[in-house]
Amino acid sequence: MNAAAIPIAARETPLPTSERILDGLAEPVVVVNADGEIVYANTAGEKTFGVWLVGRSLADLFPYYLHSGQAATVGRVSTLTTEDHTKYIARFEPMENGLCVVSLHAGGAANHEDGPACDELTGLATRNCFMRALDVALVERGDLGEIAVHCIDLDRFKLVNDTLGHAIGDALLKKVAERLAKACRKEDVVARIGGDEFVVLQCAPVREGEAERLANRLVDLLGRTYVLNGHTVNIGASVGLAYSGSGYQGRDVMRNADLALYEAKRAGRARFRCFEFGMDANLRERRELEIDLRRALALKQFELHYQPFLDLKSNRVIGFEALLRWHHPRRGNVPPLDFIPLAEETGLIVTIGEWVLRSACEAAANWPGDMVAAVNVSPLQFKSDTLLETVSSALERSGLPASRLEVEITEGALLDDTENVLATLHALRDLGVHISMDDFGTGYSSLAYLQKFPFSKIKLDRSFVAGTGADCDAILKAVAGLGTSLGMAITAEGVETDEQLNRIREERCTYVQGYLTGRPMTVDRIARFLENGQQRTEAAS
Amino acid sequence: MSTVIYRLVYYSRNHIPDQNGELDAEIKQILERSRVNNDKDGITGALLFNAGCFAQVLEGPLDAVERTFERIQQDERHGDVSLLALEPIAERAFGSWAMGFLGRSETNAHRFAEVGTKSGFDVARLSGDEIHSVLKRLAIEEEAAAA
Ligand SMILES: Cc1cc2nc3c(=O)[nH]c(=O)nc-3n(C[C@H](O)[C@H](O)[C@H](O)COP(=O)(O)O)c2cc1C
Repeated sequence: MNAAAIPIAARETPLPTSERILDGLAEPVVVVNADGEIVYANTAGEKTFGVWLVGRSLADLFPYYLHSGQAATVGRVSTLTTEDHTKYIARFEPMENGLCVVSLHAGGAANHEDGPACDELTGLATRNCFMRALDVALVERGDLGEIAVHCIDLDRFKLVNDTLGHAIGDALLKKVAERLAKACRKEDVVARIGGDEFVVLQCAPVREGEAERLANRLVDLLGRTYVLNGHTVNIGASVGLAYSGSGYQGRDVMRNADLALYEAKRAGRARFRCFEFGMDANLRERRELEIDLRRALALKQFELHYQPFLDLKSNRVIGFEALLRWHHPRRGNVPPLDFIPLAEETGLIVTIGEWVLRSACEAAANWPGDMVAAVNVSPLQFKSDTLLETVSSALERSGLPASRLEVEITEGALLDDTENVLATLHALRDLGVHISMDDFGTGYSSLAYLQKFPFSKIKLDRSFVAGTGADCDAILKAVAGLGTSLGMAITAEGVETDEQLNRIREERCTYVQGYLTGRPMTVDRIARFLENGQQRTEAAS
Repeated sequence: MSTVIYRLVYYSRNHIPDQNGELDAEIKQILERSRVNNDKDGITGALLFNAGCFAQVLEGPLDAVERTFERIQQDERHGDVSLLALEPIAERAFGSWAMGFLGRSETNAHRFAEVGTKSGFDVARLSGDEIHSVLKRLAIEEEAAAA
């Protein structure tokens, strides 16, 4: 049946006339004839420019508008200004009989409140000015994807301002502006939209890869050393790049470029990233995770589990490593790898780490003998300047002797600001706390670090224990030998089978930690575990 | 009152492809512009090209040195610019050179080879002082050879 082909909506609700639809538009639409005389205006047009619009000419509304038949080519766009300096972006759509539809988009609607068009310090465009230019550019060629926006953020600018003063900071911004302008073409728009935030509107990067090339160039150029009043200044630049698309408005492109910038910074700064779909979803997911993470401490969603480690000679448990667990009511158990990086990025790790230290010390104070609590400390905690204080107060409050606390650090802690970190490590050692090097063998594994500080223990990464090849054996042997000669104990992590246990025994590791010798457990199960273990070793000997 | 003279030393990696004489032409252009600009700005110094690297000493009043260096810094013909020294000096070491050039010519290439074997010449490993003194020594030899 033919009727089946008619869309249901069309059959049931008749559409209003085109004229009614036009009157429903919020933006003015007029039709002019070949003489530039207005022959039709929609309601929005009459509201904006006054009734009796029909019969007047476009030039009456826009004094600088000169009508010529040729001007009205397909899709021509121009900016029209009214007598009271309100700007409109006008799109001309020619029809039959010399008529032409003109839709007027209030592109520069906020003209009056715009403020200055250029930034006083750098002479670049301001944000408002930039957004206007972007809107115009999008109307002209946005659909073709021929507009690229680069959002630029300076890395370490604040540091320059804080250490060298505002005068140098300002001089730096001027140089940055110069370099930006130098890298761009005349028709591009460069603006400063925040303290150290800049944007570039690149018009028509038509050749393949042209926008990427500019982004790359900006990263390179802005990252080059500056010399200002005899000071050598080094900063970096991160760039987020996004293209226009059909139906995009200025704020859409800006948002995409901003998301890309965020990704560039997350990937380590001093680089550029192109916007990709999904970046916004990623960001949203991370934001939600961050919100949950911020609440987790207060809502008591964190818990410590303790995994025993044994002395390989005596087969006795000599301590437990505190492992952070996060139970979220909706997310379930969130693996540390999923939230620790975010906690570090947001600085939350400092407060979380403090809680871990306090809780572990309190728990350990109830353990028998001189059983040790090993606690992981993030590189960021070392940078926060409060670590020493946190550790001593955790010890004091719990009554745990310092010798029963072991702080585990990764190489990452020693990577930068080594001097300060070493000073903190020495101060901790002077308190009587043991310091061990965690995950050895995965990062740089620089032997220089082992030389810089007398660690009491090296924890060899689990991958070398789990691996079966001759390589892993050789590494096990070498690290064990290294430990012996440097006077550092070696813990083999991740031991799961008897075979692995025998192997590390042969290689003379000092301690062992893994599923085989004990899984992580909640604090209330430790006493039972120790009792059973005691019976086992007694039975064995 | 005499203005304080500063010395700036840097090295960088060449980005100009070494083909069809492009490198020679560009270096020629750089030197021509340098000599005109530097003369005007009261800048003296020397430029060395070897093994894909530039090394340069700029001498002059601080603001002129900074302005010149900023222009050079923005130049796409090189990259990885490492600033080795920026300090006030008692007197110019290249007083008569708007921009002396060392490198690429037969004799200089030969001399470089010699410096290379004698001191293990590797621009990337030299300090500002070392580059300065290498350039200075070569410049003196050059002047002696020209005389
Ligand atoms: C390695 C290198 C060294 C340069 N040295 C100088 C210099 O000493 N003085 C100078 O004015 N330009 C120098 N330039 C050129 C500048 O980068 C820039 O192209 C030039 O100053 C522009 O001058 P103009 O505006 O007068 O053409 C150098 C370029 C390179 C790649």
